[in-house]
Amino acid sequence: MRVERLLLLLLAGAATLLPVASLAQEAPASESPTPPPPVLDEVKLIAQRAALAHLGGEKPFILRESSWSGEIEPGQAKLVQVQLFKRNDYHFWIAVPDRRAAIHLNLYDSKGELVEATAHRYESPNVASLVASPAETGVYYLRIAVEATAKEPQRWVVVYAYR
Amino acid sequence: MKRTLFSAVVIAAASVTASAQEAPGRINLNDPNLVVVNSSVIPIPLEIFASLDKLGNQDWSKQVENREIKLDTNRSRTAMLFGLVVSDGFIAVQAQDKEAVRRIGREVLRLASSLAVASEVEQHANAIVNAAGQSDWGVCRRELDRTRQTVLNKMAKQRDDELVGLVSLGGWLGGTQALAAVLKGNYSIEGSDLLNQPDLVKQLKKDFNTLPARAKRGKVFGQIGQTLEHLESLMRADASGAISKGKVIEISLATNNLVAAIYES
Repeated sequence: MRVERLLLLLLAGAATLLPVASLAQEAPASESPTPPPPVLDEVKLIAQRAALAHLGGEKPFILRESSWSGEIEPGQAKLVQVQLFKRNDYHFWIAVPDRRAAIHLNLYDSKGELVEATAHRYESPNVASLVASPAETGVYYLRIAVEATAKEPQRWVVVYAYR
Repeated sequence: MKRTLFSAVVIAAASVTASAQEAPGRINLNDPNLVVVNSSVIPIPLEIFASLDKLGNQDWSKQVENREIKLDTNRSRTAMLFGLVVSDGFIAVQAQDKEAVRRIGREVLRLASSLAVASEVEQHANAIVNAAGQSDWGVCRRELDRTRQTVLNKMAKQRDDELVGLVSLGGWLGGTQALAAVLKGNYSIEGSDLLNQPDLVKQLKKDFNTLPARAKRGKVFGQIGQTLEHLESLMRADASGAISKGKVIEISLATNNLVAAIYES
Protein backbone atom coordinates (compact mmCIF):
# COMPACT_ATOMS: atom_id res chain seq x y z
CA MET A 1 0.00 0.00 0.00
CA ARG A 2 2.80 2.28 1.00
CA VAL A 3 4.73 1.32 -2.13
CA GLU A 4 1.67 2.04 -4.29
CA ARG A 5 1.40 5.47 -2.72
CA LEU A 6 5.07 6.10 -3.36
CA LEU A 7 4.66 5.01 -6.98
CA LEU A 8 1.84 7.49 -7.49
CA LEU A 9 3.88 10.27 -5.91
CA LEU A 10 6.88 9.42 -8.04
CA LEU A 11 4.83 9.38 -11.20
CA ALA A 12 3.39 12.75 -10.24
CA GLY A 13 6.89 14.10 -9.78
CA ALA A 14 8.20 12.54 -12.95
CA ALA A 15 5.32 13.98 -14.94
CA THR A 16 7.16 17.28 -14.92
CA LEU A 17 8.15 18.18 -18.43
CA LEU A 18 11.89 18.01 -18.76
CA PRO A 19 14.31 18.78 -21.54
CA VAL A 20 15.18 15.33 -22.86
CA ALA A 21 18.87 15.96 -23.30
CA SER A 22 19.42 18.00 -20.17
CA LEU A 23 22.65 16.61 -18.78
CA ALA A 24 22.15 17.43 -15.15
CA GLN A 25 19.03 18.43 -13.41
CA GLU A 26 21.07 20.36 -10.92
CA ALA A 27 23.13 22.54 -13.19
CA PRO A 28 22.67 21.58 -16.81
CA ALA A 29 25.88 21.24 -18.73
CA SER A 30 26.38 22.43 -22.27
CA GLU A 31 26.55 19.29 -24.41
CA SER A 32 23.25 20.24 -26.05
CA PRO A 33 23.47 23.53 -27.98
CA THR A 34 19.78 23.91 -28.72
CA PRO A 35 16.85 23.42 -26.39
CA PRO A 36 15.25 20.04 -27.09
CA PRO A 37 11.49 19.62 -27.14
CA PRO A 38 10.05 18.95 -23.69
CA VAL A 39 9.11 15.34 -23.14
CA LEU A 40 8.56 13.07 -20.19
CA ASP A 41 11.94 11.92 -18.94
CA GLU A 42 11.25 8.21 -19.37
CA VAL A 43 14.78 7.07 -18.63
CA LYS A 44 14.73 8.88 -15.31
CA LEU A 45 11.41 7.24 -14.62
CA ILE A 46 12.92 3.77 -15.15
CA ALA A 47 15.62 4.59 -12.62
CA GLN A 48 13.09 6.02 -10.17
CA ARG A 49 10.88 2.95 -10.48
CA ALA A 50 13.86 0.77 -9.66
CA ALA A 51 14.35 2.89 -6.56
CA LEU A 52 10.79 2.44 -5.34
CA ALA A 53 11.29 -0.82 -3.48
CA HIS A 54 13.97 0.80 -1.34
CA LEU A 55 11.96 3.82 -0.22
CA GLY A 56 9.88 2.01 2.37
CA GLY A 57 10.46 -0.43 5.19
CA GLU A 58 12.35 -0.02 8.42
CA LYS A 59 15.35 1.84 7.04
CA PRO A 60 13.98 3.67 4.01
CA PHE A 61 16.16 5.60 1.63
CA ILE A 62 15.18 9.18 0.82
CA LEU A 63 15.19 9.75 -2.93
CA ARG A 64 16.55 13.03 -4.25
CA GLU A 65 14.86 14.84 -7.10
CA SER A 66 18.19 15.76 -8.67
CA SER A 67 19.86 13.49 -11.18
CA TRP A 68 22.73 13.25 -13.59
CA SER A 69 22.26 12.37 -17.23
CA GLY A 70 24.00 12.25 -20.56
CA GLU A 71 24.82 9.98 -23.43
CA ILE A 72 27.31 7.14 -23.52
CA GLU A 73 28.76 5.10 -26.38
CA PRO A 74 28.79 1.29 -26.19
CA GLY A 75 32.05 0.12 -24.63
CA GLN A 76 32.69 3.54 -23.11
CA ALA A 77 32.95 4.54 -19.44
CA LYS A 78 32.32 7.90 -17.80
CA LEU A 79 32.85 9.29 -14.32
CA VAL A 80 30.39 11.32 -12.29
CA GLN A 81 31.80 13.29 -9.35
CA VAL A 82 29.72 13.09 -6.16
CA GLN A 83 30.12 14.57 -2.69
CA LEU A 84 29.26 11.97 -0.04
CA PHE A 85 29.04 12.20 3.72
CA LYS A 86 30.34 9.69 6.24
CA ARG A 87 27.76 7.78 8.31
CA ASN A 88 25.15 8.00 5.54
CA ASP A 89 24.29 5.12 3.24
CA TYR A 90 23.85 6.01 -0.42
CA HIS A 91 21.96 4.14 -3.11
CA PHE A 92 22.59 5.04 -6.75
CA TRP A 93 20.51 3.75 -9.67
CA ILE A 94 21.41 4.00 -13.32
CA ALA A 95 19.15 3.32 -16.29
CA VAL A 96 19.44 3.37 -20.07
CA PRO A 97 16.50 2.84 -22.43
CA ASP A 98 17.69 -0.20 -24.45
CA ARG A 99 16.78 -3.30 -22.44
CA ARG A 100 19.60 -5.26 -24.10
CA ALA A 101 22.27 -2.75 -23.11
CA ALA A 102 24.22 -4.04 -20.12
CA ILE A 103 25.34 -1.26 -17.83
CA HIS A 104 27.66 -1.23 -14.85
CA LEU A 105 27.96 1.14 -11.95
CA ASN A 106 30.90 1.31 -9.56
CA LEU A 107 32.16 3.77 -6.96
CA TYR A 108 35.73 5.02 -6.51
CA ASP A 109 37.22 7.20 -3.80
CA SER A 110 39.20 10.39 -4.34
CA LYS A 111 42.39 8.35 -4.82
CA GLY A 112 40.80 6.26 -7.55
CA GLU A 113 40.42 3.11 -5.42
CA LEU A 114 37.33 0.97 -5.94
CA VAL A 115 34.99 1.33 -2.97
CA GLU A 116 33.37 -1.78 -1.60
CA ALA A 117 29.67 -1.61 -2.31
CA THR A 118 26.68 -3.86 -2.73
CA ALA A 119 25.54 -4.00 -6.31
CA HIS A 120 21.98 -4.87 -7.27
CA ARG A 121 21.08 -6.41 -10.61
CA TYR A 122 17.58 -6.16 -12.01
CA GLU A 123 15.31 -8.07 -14.37
CA SER A 124 16.91 -6.50 -17.41
CA PRO A 125 20.56 -5.40 -17.68
CA ASN A 126 19.71 -1.82 -18.60
CA VAL A 127 19.18 -0.97 -14.93
CA ALA A 128 21.76 -1.34 -12.18
CA SER A 129 22.30 0.07 -8.72
CA LEU A 130 24.73 0.04 -5.86
CA VAL A 131 24.65 0.79 -2.15
CA ALA A 132 27.70 2.24 -0.46
CA SER A 133 28.57 3.62 2.96
CA PRO A 134 31.46 6.06 2.52
CA ALA A 135 34.28 5.67 5.02
CA GLU A 136 35.11 9.37 4.80
CA THR A 137 33.31 12.57 3.89
CA GLY A 138 34.54 13.81 0.55
CA VAL A 139 34.51 13.47 -3.19
CA TYR A 140 33.86 10.12 -4.84
CA TYR A 141 33.47 9.06 -8.45
CA LEU A 142 30.71 6.95 -9.89
CA ARG A 143 31.97 5.02 -12.89
CA ILE A 144 29.28 4.21 -15.40
CA ALA A 145 29.98 1.84 -18.26
CA VAL A 146 27.95 0.33 -21.07
CA GLU A 147 29.07 -2.97 -22.54
CA ALA A 148 29.98 -3.05 -26.22
CA THR A 149 27.02 -5.37 -26.84
CA ALA A 150 24.75 -2.33 -27.04
CA LYS A 151 24.01 -1.31 -30.63
CA GLU A 152 23.93 2.43 -30.30
CA PRO A 153 24.77 5.31 -27.91
CA GLN A 154 22.58 5.26 -24.86
CA ARG A 155 21.06 8.13 -22.95
CA TRP A 156 21.69 7.42 -19.27
CA VAL A 157 20.25 8.79 -16.04
CA VAL A 158 21.57 8.34 -12.51
CA VAL A 159 19.36 9.06 -9.50
CA TYR A 160 20.31 8.62 -5.88
CA ALA A 161 18.96 8.34 -2.38
CA TYR A 162 20.44 8.61 1.10
CA ARG A 163 19.57 7.46 4.60
CA MET B 1 8.85 2.67 -27.63
CA LYS B 2 7.00 3.77 -24.53
CA ARG B 3 5.77 0.24 -24.02
CA THR B 4 9.31 -1.10 -24.12
CA LEU B 5 10.50 1.50 -21.69
CA PHE B 6 7.80 0.97 -19.17
CA SER B 7 8.02 -2.78 -19.42
CA ALA B 8 11.52 -2.46 -18.11
CA VAL B 9 10.02 -2.44 -14.66
CA VAL B 10 12.73 -3.53 -12.46
CA ILE B 11 12.82 -6.18 -9.85
CA ALA B 12 15.85 -6.56 -7.67
CA ALA B 13 17.05 -10.01 -8.58
CA ALA B 14 20.39 -10.43 -6.93
CA SER B 15 22.96 -8.61 -4.93
CA VAL B 16 26.67 -9.01 -5.50
CA THR B 17 29.64 -7.12 -4.17
CA ALA B 18 30.81 -4.44 -6.54
CA SER B 19 34.33 -5.79 -6.47
CA ALA B 20 33.06 -9.01 -8.03
CA GLN B 21 32.11 -7.16 -11.19
CA GLU B 22 34.48 -6.51 -14.06
CA ALA B 23 35.48 -3.09 -12.84
CA PRO B 24 39.08 -1.96 -12.51
CA GLY B 25 40.27 -2.05 -8.91
CA ARG B 26 41.84 1.32 -9.38
CA ILE B 27 41.49 4.16 -11.84
CA ASN B 28 44.01 6.87 -12.57
CA LEU B 29 42.09 10.05 -11.97
CA ASN B 30 44.80 12.02 -13.79
CA ASP B 31 44.34 10.01 -16.97
CA PRO B 32 43.59 12.63 -19.66
CA ASN B 33 41.41 10.09 -21.47
CA LEU B 34 38.98 9.83 -18.58
CA VAL B 35 35.61 11.33 -19.37
CA VAL B 36 34.24 13.16 -16.33
CA VAL B 37 30.65 14.35 -16.64
CA ASN B 38 30.60 18.12 -16.48
CA SER B 39 27.80 18.61 -14.00
CA SER B 40 27.33 18.64 -10.29
CA VAL B 41 24.47 17.87 -7.95
CA ILE B 42 24.64 19.86 -4.75
CA PRO B 43 23.71 17.89 -1.62
CA ILE B 44 20.64 19.24 0.16
CA PRO B 45 21.10 20.27 3.82
CA LEU B 46 19.01 17.35 5.12
CA GLU B 47 21.46 14.90 3.59
CA ILE B 48 24.24 16.41 5.69
CA PHE B 49 22.09 16.87 8.78
CA ALA B 50 21.12 13.18 8.60
CA SER B 51 24.77 12.26 9.03
CA LEU B 52 25.30 14.67 11.93
CA ASP B 53 22.20 13.45 13.75
CA LYS B 54 23.69 9.94 13.78
CA LEU B 55 26.23 11.29 16.28
CA GLY B 56 23.42 12.42 18.59
CA ASN B 57 20.47 14.75 18.48
CA GLN B 58 21.29 18.33 17.56
CA ASP B 59 19.33 21.44 18.38
CA TRP B 60 18.29 22.58 14.92
CA SER B 61 15.59 24.92 16.23
CA LYS B 62 18.21 27.59 16.99
CA GLN B 63 19.05 27.71 13.29
CA VAL B 64 15.52 28.57 12.20
CA GLU B 65 15.50 32.27 11.45
CA ASN B 66 12.76 34.60 10.40
CA ARG B 67 14.42 37.18 8.19
CA GLU B 68 12.61 39.89 6.34
CA ILE B 69 13.07 39.61 2.58
CA LYS B 70 13.10 42.85 0.63
CA LEU B 71 12.97 42.11 -3.05
CA ASP B 72 14.45 44.35 -5.70
CA THR B 73 14.94 44.08 -9.46
CA ASN B 74 18.23 42.18 -9.17
CA ARG B 75 17.22 38.68 -10.35
CA SER B 76 20.61 37.23 -9.44
CA ARG B 77 20.11 38.25 -5.82
CA THR B 78 16.56 36.89 -5.92
CA ALA B 79 17.89 33.56 -7.21
CA MET B 80 20.38 33.42 -4.32
CA LEU B 81 17.58 34.28 -1.90
CA PHE B 82 15.41 31.54 -3.38
CA GLY B 83 18.15 29.00 -2.72
CA LEU B 84 18.62 30.35 0.80
CA VAL B 85 14.92 30.25 1.62
CA VAL B 86 14.52 26.66 0.38
CA SER B 87 17.51 25.79 2.52
CA ASP B 88 15.80 27.51 5.49
CA GLY B 89 12.84 25.27 4.73
CA PHE B 90 15.00 22.17 5.07
CA ILE B 91 16.35 23.46 8.38
CA ALA B 92 12.83 24.16 9.64
CA VAL B 93 11.80 20.62 8.62
CA GLN B 94 14.77 19.23 10.53
CA ALA B 95 13.70 21.29 13.54
CA GLN B 96 10.08 20.19 12.97
CA ASP B 97 8.99 23.82 13.25
CA LYS B 98 5.49 23.83 11.80
CA GLU B 99 4.99 27.60 11.68
CA ALA B 100 8.39 28.26 10.13
CA VAL B 101 7.79 25.69 7.38
CA ARG B 102 4.40 27.22 6.58
CA ARG B 103 5.90 30.70 6.44
CA ILE B 104 8.73 29.47 4.23
CA GLY B 105 6.26 27.74 1.91
CA ARG B 106 4.55 31.08 1.34
CA GLU B 107 7.89 32.87 0.97
CA VAL B 108 9.02 30.34 -1.64
CA LEU B 109 5.96 31.19 -3.72
CA ARG B 110 6.59 34.94 -3.42
CA LEU B 111 10.19 34.52 -4.58
CA ALA B 112 9.12 32.18 -7.38
CA SER B 113 6.71 34.87 -8.59
CA SER B 114 9.54 37.35 -8.69
CA LEU B 115 11.57 34.87 -10.76
CA ALA B 116 8.57 34.28 -13.06
CA VAL B 117 8.29 30.59 -12.16
CA ALA B 118 5.31 30.81 -9.80
CA SER B 119 2.96 28.62 -11.83
CA GLU B 120 5.44 25.74 -11.71
CA VAL B 121 6.03 26.13 -7.99
CA GLU B 122 2.53 26.82 -6.75
CA GLN B 123 1.39 23.22 -6.24
CA HIS B 124 4.60 22.36 -4.41
CA ALA B 125 4.41 25.45 -2.20
CA ASN B 126 0.81 24.64 -1.30
CA ALA B 127 1.79 21.04 -0.54
CA ILE B 128 4.54 22.29 1.78
CA VAL B 129 2.14 24.56 3.67
CA ASN B 130 -0.51 21.83 3.97
CA ALA B 131 1.93 19.11 4.99
CA ALA B 132 3.48 21.36 7.62
CA GLY B 133 0.01 21.89 9.07
CA GLN B 134 -0.24 18.12 9.51
CA SER B 135 3.38 17.74 10.67
CA ASP B 136 4.01 15.45 7.70
CA TRP B 137 7.73 16.13 7.53
CA GLY B 138 8.41 13.53 4.85
CA VAL B 139 6.09 15.32 2.43
CA CYS B 140 7.53 18.72 3.40
CA ARG B 141 11.03 17.44 2.67
CA ARG B 142 10.06 15.91 -0.67
CA GLU B 143 8.09 18.97 -1.80
CA LEU B 144 10.94 21.31 -0.87
CA ASP B 145 13.32 19.22 -2.96
CA ARG B 146 10.78 19.16 -5.79
CA THR B 147 10.29 22.93 -5.55
CA ARG B 148 14.00 23.45 -5.86
CA GLN B 149 14.35 21.02 -8.77
CA THR B 150 11.29 22.37 -10.56
CA VAL B 151 12.71 25.88 -10.45
CA LEU B 152 16.11 24.70 -11.67
CA ASN B 153 14.49 22.79 -14.54
CA LYS B 154 12.35 25.75 -15.52
CA MET B 155 15.31 28.12 -15.43
CA ALA B 156 17.39 25.71 -17.51
CA LYS B 157 14.58 25.49 -20.02
CA GLN B 158 14.45 29.27 -20.20
CA ARG B 159 18.23 29.32 -20.71
CA ASP B 160 18.66 31.11 -17.38
CA ASP B 161 21.72 29.01 -16.61
CA GLU B 162 23.26 31.80 -14.55
CA LEU B 163 20.32 31.77 -12.19
CA VAL B 164 20.44 27.96 -11.93
CA GLY B 165 23.95 28.20 -10.51
CA LEU B 166 22.98 30.96 -8.09
CA VAL B 167 19.97 29.04 -6.72
CA SER B 168 22.24 26.06 -6.09
CA LEU B 169 24.88 28.26 -4.50
CA GLY B 170 22.31 29.91 -2.23
CA GLY B 171 21.00 26.53 -1.10
CA TRP B 172 24.47 25.23 -0.34
CA LEU B 173 25.39 28.42 1.52
CA GLY B 174 22.31 28.27 3.75
CA GLY B 175 22.91 24.63 4.65
CA THR B 176 26.61 25.23 5.32
CA GLN B 177 25.82 28.19 7.54
CA ALA B 178 23.44 26.10 9.66
CA LEU B 179 25.83 23.14 9.81
CA ALA B 180 28.76 25.32 10.88
CA ALA B 181 26.63 27.08 13.51
CA VAL B 182 25.52 23.76 15.01
CA LEU B 183 29.07 22.42 15.00
CA LYS B 184 30.36 25.63 16.55
CA GLY B 185 27.92 25.22 19.45
CA ASN B 186 28.45 21.48 19.80
CA TYR B 187 31.87 20.74 18.34
CA SER B 188 33.04 17.21 17.77
CA ILE B 189 35.97 15.98 15.72
CA GLU B 190 33.74 13.34 14.16
CA GLY B 191 31.04 15.82 13.15
CA SER B 192 33.51 18.38 11.82
CA ASP B 193 34.36 16.16 8.85
CA LEU B 194 31.01 17.07 7.30
CA LEU B 195 32.54 20.43 6.43
CA ASN B 196 35.28 18.72 4.45
CA GLN B 197 34.04 19.84 1.05
CA PRO B 198 37.03 21.44 -0.73
CA ASP B 199 36.19 20.01 -4.16
CA LEU B 200 32.58 21.04 -3.92
CA VAL B 201 33.56 24.59 -2.90
CA LYS B 202 36.11 24.65 -5.71
CA GLN B 203 33.39 23.69 -8.20
CA LEU B 204 30.98 26.29 -6.80
CA LYS B 205 33.70 28.94 -6.96
CA LYS B 206 34.57 28.00 -10.52
CA ASP B 207 30.91 28.13 -11.56
CA PHE B 208 30.50 31.49 -9.83
CA ASN B 209 33.65 32.98 -11.34
CA THR B 210 32.60 31.99 -14.85
CA LEU B 211 29.26 33.78 -14.56
CA PRO B 212 29.07 36.82 -16.84
CA ALA B 213 29.46 40.22 -15.21
CA ARG B 214 25.79 41.02 -15.84
CA ALA B 215 24.84 38.21 -13.45
CA LYS B 216 27.04 39.58 -10.69
CA ARG B 217 25.88 43.16 -10.45
CA GLY B 218 25.90 44.57 -6.93
CA LYS B 219 28.41 44.82 -4.11
CA VAL B 220 27.34 41.56 -2.49
CA PHE B 221 28.54 39.54 -5.46
CA GLY B 222 32.09 40.70 -4.84
CA GLN B 223 31.73 39.41 -1.29
CA ILE B 224 30.44 36.05 -2.56
CA GLY B 225 33.59 35.55 -4.65
CA GLN B 226 35.86 36.45 -1.73
CA THR B 227 34.00 34.26 0.74
CA LEU B 228 34.12 31.23 -1.56
CA GLU B 229 37.86 31.75 -1.94
CA HIS B 230 38.21 31.86 1.84
CA LEU B 231 35.96 28.83 2.38
CA GLU B 232 37.91 26.74 -0.07
CA SER B 233 40.93 26.86 2.22
CA LEU B 234 38.90 26.48 5.41
CA MET B 235 36.73 23.55 4.31
CA ARG B 236 39.58 21.11 3.97
CA ALA B 237 40.21 18.46 6.61
CA ASP B 238 43.63 18.02 8.20
CA ALA B 239 45.61 14.77 8.10
CA SER B 240 43.41 13.25 10.81
CA GLY B 241 40.29 13.90 8.73
CA ALA B 242 38.97 16.63 11.04
CA ILE B 243 38.36 20.34 10.71
CA SER B 244 39.54 22.24 13.78
CA LYS B 245 37.14 24.13 16.01
CA GLY B 246 38.91 27.35 15.05
CA LYS B 247 38.19 26.70 11.39
CA VAL B 248 34.59 25.76 12.15
CA ILE B 249 34.16 29.11 13.91
CA GLU B 250 35.67 30.90 10.92
CA ILE B 251 33.39 29.02 8.51
CA SER B 252 30.41 29.91 10.65
CA LEU B 253 31.38 33.58 10.74
CA ALA B 254 32.12 33.79 7.01
CA THR B 255 28.88 32.09 5.95
CA ASN B 256 26.81 34.02 8.48
CA ASN B 257 28.20 37.35 7.26
CA LEU B 258 27.58 36.45 3.65
CA VAL B 259 24.01 35.28 4.24
CA ALA B 260 23.28 38.49 6.16
CA ALA B 261 24.78 40.56 3.34
CA ILE B 262 22.62 38.83 0.73
CA TYR B 263 19.45 39.45 2.73
CA GLU B 264 20.35 43.06 3.49
CA SER B 265 21.85 44.14 0.16
